[in-house]
Amino acid sequence: MNDFSELENQLRKLRPAPPSPELFSRVERALVDVADENKSADNVVRPDRFRVNWVSLGLGLAAAAVLLIVAHIESNRPAKKIPTVASLTPAPRDKASAINDQLVPAGFTSCLQHAGRGLAVCQWRGPANAPRALPNARDVAMA
Amino acid sequence: MDNVATHEDWKVCFSSLAPGLLLFARQWLRSSADAEDVVQEAFVRFWRRNHNIENRALLYATVRSIALDFLRRDNRRARRESDVVAEIEHSVQPKFTTEDETQRALAAAVDHLPGEQREVVVMKIWNELTFAEIGSVLGISQNTAASRYRYALGALRKNFTPQ
Repeated sequence: MNDFSELENQLRKLRPAPPSPELFSRVERALVDVADENKSADNVVRPDRFRVNWVSLGLGLAAAAVLLIVAHIESNRPAKKIPTVASLTPAPRDKASAINDQLVPAGFTSCLQHAGRGLAVCQWRGPANAPRALPNARDVAMA
Repeated sequence: MDNVATHEDWKVCFSSLAPGLLLFARQWLRSSADAEDVVQEAFVRFWRRNHNIENRALLYATVRSIALDFLRRDNRRARRESDVVAEIEHSVQPKFTTEDETQRALAAAVDHLPGEQREVVVMKIWNELTFAEIGSVLGISQNTAASRYRYALGALRKNFTPQ
């Protein structure tokens, strides 16, 4: 028992006014209307063309998502790097540069042949300090 | 009480709840006709959503929400809302069936309580909600509901003088 128990008892003796009889009939009518609405909502036939095939839609969306993910990964992949670490074997040189290295002319030899004597005088022409080109294998064979 | 939605005799449930619900709704609405509209809408909505009738906090919260919406719905009322709320604080009396002057004085004392205390008293005394349920309806803690109730009873005892 608290201090207010007497006051609470007096308050409980006050009775709220009862609702009007019309309220019951109105509520009953509203409940019946609701039940009818629910029934008619259940009976609505929906045309097939408005139905959504959720499985197909889901599969399609999943496939699109996978494609997007793959495309995203491909676009973000870094370019293939050429290894910069020094290797034991030298990098192969291409053919053109090898040929050019061999054929760089450092000078030339001019020969004058006297028709009457059958003697040829050859002279090296080129920079004084330039190494003389070695005769290649073909020239030696011909000689 | 069983679930209204599965109970054929909804009238039994409604007749036991309706007086308290109407009294609760009358706190914000000036006429009993408006209060009946609100109670009807709340009860039908409650029934329609297949809620358990034992979830009284939800039922009272529905009544409160609809009553406050009812106040705002009408532009004329909305314009006068502040005036009406102030007026409600002092002029709208809960509908009681009073038998003597003492009860009338007590009803008048309840009417003069501040709104936030009065709604707790109405739910506690005439609707027999627990403080936890009252807190749930009003969105306040159980302790706050209990303290509002104590303040209300203190004010009633102070202001109420038995005839």
